Amino acid sequence: MKKLTPKVIKSKGEARAWSFWVINYFTACGFMELLPWVGSGYDMERFGILPVPSPRHADVFIIAGYVTKKAAKRIKMIYDQIPSPKYVLALGSCPMTGGMYWDSYATIKRIDEVIPVDLWIEGCPPKPENIGHGIVMATNVVKGGFEGH
Amino acid sequence: MINEITSLLKSKFPDSLLNVVSEDKRITLLVKKEELHQILSQLKDTGFNHLSDVTAVDYIDEQEFELIYHLWSHQEKIRAIVKVRIPRESPTVKSVVDLWTGAQMHEREDHELFGINFEGNPNLSPLFLEDWEEIPPFRKDFDTRKYVKEKYYLEEEGYPVAKG
Repeated sequence: MKKLTPKVIKSKGEARAWSFWVINYFTACGFMELLPWVGSGYDMERFGILPVPSPRHADVFIIAGYVTKKAAKRIKMIYDQIPSPKYVLALGSCPMTGGMYWDSYATIKRIDEVIPVDLWIEGCPPKPENIGHGIVMATNVVKGGFEGH
Repeated sequence: MINEITSLLKSKFPDSLLNVVSEDKRITLLVKKEELHQILSQLKDTGFNHLSDVTAVDYIDEQEFELIYHLWSHQEKIRAIVKVRIPRESPTVKSVVDLWTGAQMHEREDHELFGINFEGNPNLSPLFLEDWEEIPPFRKDFDTRKYVKEKYYLEEEGYPVAKG
């Protein structure tokens, strides 16, 4: 295969960054904080971000809220169905440390034991501004040529 | 109506009613395990055709589980609460699936979280928990925090750090 020139690689990243198609896995409060971005208030579509119904159409996997042991297996199944290159964003304290449920027998404490995570957005739950900041950061990294996992 | 139900039950099951509390729209019964099914069947015939919930409480000091059946009568708008104490070592009780089909899920949940056996329930397989090897987690002698620290945290740093 012909080797791509640096200019082509750059435009490939640019194209990916402007078509961030998202599959969501939300269990609790995280989605309430992302909702302003779905609506016209913050309007995520001006960044090319679109929620899709199937993981097979998605580029980005957003996980928010506590992850139970049972849900972790389903998250792994969803992750495996997303075609490469794929990027994983974890929202809130729960997928990082367990959050409020750190001493629960039912939840897993770190989502990166199950799937690799590219960006953590902190907060309990994160504010819409934090989520927007995180997603714009992620698009900038993708524009720079980050290939994900 | 409450008084009629109370007198009917007292005449039919004089030995099994340990305690009866009648209120305006609610009747609370503490019954013996042996005649639990007959009493619930009688209450269903009296008009309590809706089973709201089957819950359990772990009284570890008395080495007993308390099962609580919440019944509701659509005709009379009365709630009946039937409580029964069963021993903690052999927590077995007759299922009420033959009276209310909806009891199946409630009993399955109680079986999973407390380890109570319901004789006659067609399906008591795990509902919420997967790969669970410990004792049922809602029992009072299950230490959640100890389990989590052993399974998910490392103590080497001087304070708990998540594994992975």
